[in-house]
Amino acid sequence: MESRDKIVVKLPCKPEYVSVARLTVSGVASRIGFDIDTVEDIKVAVSEVCSRIISVAGSSEKQYEIWFDISAKKLTISFSAKIERINCIFEDDEDGLGAAIINAFMDEVEYCPEGKDYILSMTKNFEVISCNGL
Amino acid sequence: MSSELIMTSVDSDQEAKVVVSGEIDIYTARQFKEKLYQFVDNSTKDIVIDCSDLDYIDSTGLGIFVGALKKARLTDRNISLENIRDNIRKLFNITGLDKLFIIR
Repeated sequence: MESRDKIVVKLPCKPEYVSVARLTVSGVASRIGFDIDTVEDIKVAVSEVCSRIISVAGSSEKQYEIWFDISAKKLTISFSAKIERINCIFEDDEDGLGAAIINAFMDEVEYCPEGKDYILSMTKNFEVISCNGL
Repeated sequence: MSSELIMTSVDSDQEAKVVVSGEIDIYTARQFKEKLYQFVDNSTKDIVIDCSDLDYIDSTGLGIFVGALKKARLTDRNISLENIRDNIRKLFNITGLDKLFIIR
């Protein structure tokens, strides 16, 4: 599916800016037509990834980027960060709560991309409403 | 722009209650963890956490609830959560923590 719009946000690896990521994703998801419950779900999933990136970054001087890729049928959100030794950011997540939440709220999640310029990518599809019989 | 969290608590003869309002995320988690764990350590009763004004919680915050429950259970006490909003209840359901806590 051809991408329609791209939005990029660059944030410091500092906990105080995760709320900025939540506000941004809420704005984007709402603007492109997701319902309020789905916006909340996507927001929670994005926040989990941001928190995890900050936890593994090891330095608040670093930055990470969130890429919103909007197409007619889906929203893909990718995260990139120049952090050494990170391929699978949820690999050492002890309780697994973050990944459980992301898996529940997003339709597709690529946790350990190899040879890509992002460290995690996840997608939410627009719901297709069947009009059969109408 | 940062998340805000307010935690108040009452430990009387009748009840041990914590009221949490705002957002529990990676930014506010440390402050919340310190206060909640201290409250659990100092109290001798079962604890009720009122979440009616809790707008947001992430996995860090859920982990703190679990840690507090483990602490309470060391002395045969329990933690119950009340007035949880639907968006937060959903997180408890997804993670299976609804089976661990008394939710009312």
